[in-house]
Amino acid sequence: MKTIVLAEDNSTLSLLLKFRLEKEGYKFFPAEDGKKAIELIEEHKPDLILTDIMMPFISGLEVISHVRNNLNMKIPIIVFSSAGQEEIVLKAFNLGANDFMSKPFSPNELVIRIKRLLMQ
Amino acid sequence: MNGLEYLINNFKQFPILIKIVWILSGILFIIIINLLIYLKFLRGYLRNKENIFAKLQSEYESELINYLYASQEEEDPTKLIIVEKMKTCIKDKFNREIFLTVLSKLKNDISGEMAESIEHLYVKSGLIDYSLAKLKSNKWDVKAAGIKELALFEIKNVYSEISKYKDYPKQEVRNEVQLYFVNLFQFKGLDFLNDLKTPISEWNQIQLLEILQKFEDQEITDISHWLKSKNNSVVIFALKLAKIYNQFQVINILLELLAHENKDIRVEAIEVLNYFQTNEAKQILKNNFLNRSTDEQIAFFNMLGGIVEKNDEDFILKNVYHENFEIKTLALKLLKIINIDRFKMLSRSLSDVENQTIFNFLEKN
Repeated sequence: MKTIVLAEDNSTLSLLLKFRLEKEGYKFFPAEDGKKAIELIEEHKPDLILTDIMMPFISGLEVISHVRNNLNMKIPIIVFSSAGQEEIVLKAFNLGANDFMSKPFSPNELVIRIKRLLMQ
Repeated sequence: MNGLEYLINNFKQFPILIKIVWILSGILFIIIINLLIYLKFLRGYLRNKENIFAKLQSEYESELINYLYASQEEEDPTKLIIVEKMKTCIKDKFNREIFLTVLSKLKNDISGEMAESIEHLYVKSGLIDYSLAKLKSNKWDVKAAGIKELALFEIKNVYSEISKYKDYPKQEVRNEVQLYFVNLFQFKGLDFLNDLKTPISEWNQIQLLEILQKFEDQEITDISHWLKSKNNSVVIFALKLAKIYNQFQVINILLELLAHENKDIRVEAIEVLNYFQTNEAKQILKNNFLNRSTDEQIAFFNMLGGIVEKNDEDFILKNVYHENFEIKTLALKLLKIINIDRFKMLSRSLSDVENQTIFNFLEKN
């Protein structure tokens, strides 16, 4: 069973994605901030990471940097961004993100992207 | 009892000043004790409220997810049960705010079929009625919040109701009305500009332009009547639209705006004409250059940068000694482009420090 860690401070969105991705057969670990996300990543060694950019304590960019530079993990990372965060998305790609979705996004489209990245 | 009598007797023998100090100390002590009790009570109350909020939020989040993952049928029993439950819950103001927060948080972050389902739930649960009731409030912030909610949940059929507030005295309400129009009706929503009497804030103009650029359909409606509006902020906004959406067909109106009574509009018009590299504007501006404000003169010299020709040399030479530093620099820069020999000659003849600094800078750049 493939494992996914989500770093997202919107609890309602986290719950929605948890419900959807578990239905798709993934093991899902949500974190409400970047700090908790790093703990979950180190503990569960997931196959894919979903992360919001703006979060309390540790931002999405720091999560990506930690995964790529400290943990040396090559797993796919999808970034969630909001309008006006184009510059930060570019930074996320430079740090090693594989894909991004701009909020508001369709959960169906997210599932398609996750499947595609996990098949590669 | 004797002890107390002893204290009272002693107190009576104190000088009047000491008595006042003791009485004041006693009063302050009582006030501090009361405040401490009140703070303890308040902290407990807020913590309790926070816990109830978190518990209800979690409960409503689960209900919402169940609603969204129920079948697409409107008559699905799970959906009907959740709608009925929510109808009852939101009668209480505190519960209603929590439910609205949960719906808003998700509506802001997702799109597609699920976003539409959230809109249905907003209507079916009756939250829409509370938003509409907010429009009738005497408080401007409540009114603005109501409009914002109706825009977020894309309630299009209240257009005429919202239109009533487009010239509302409080700017925050007007801002929400404008965002409602453009978010829900795209370019068609800009029709409110036709007869807008109040100003559009600079910040809202930026927001409106950003929203418009998100839409797939980028076909803009005719902006010429907005450029002729009596409302100056509408004209300024239309000038921004003209530039962003390359409205070459309005160039003649832009040329007319060079004689507008408002200076900001004239400057903005020069900048848009500069963007379109309109040669016709050059002669108009040259003819009455001295009568124009410094901002217009600077904007014109910036415009010349893109369309300067050899026959502009006399005009430029007249301005190389301009009292405004920026105009003087721009004039010398243009002279260097069209006649480098004249520029070098001038460089040798002008000896003061300021001019030499400009020449040194221009020679290196």
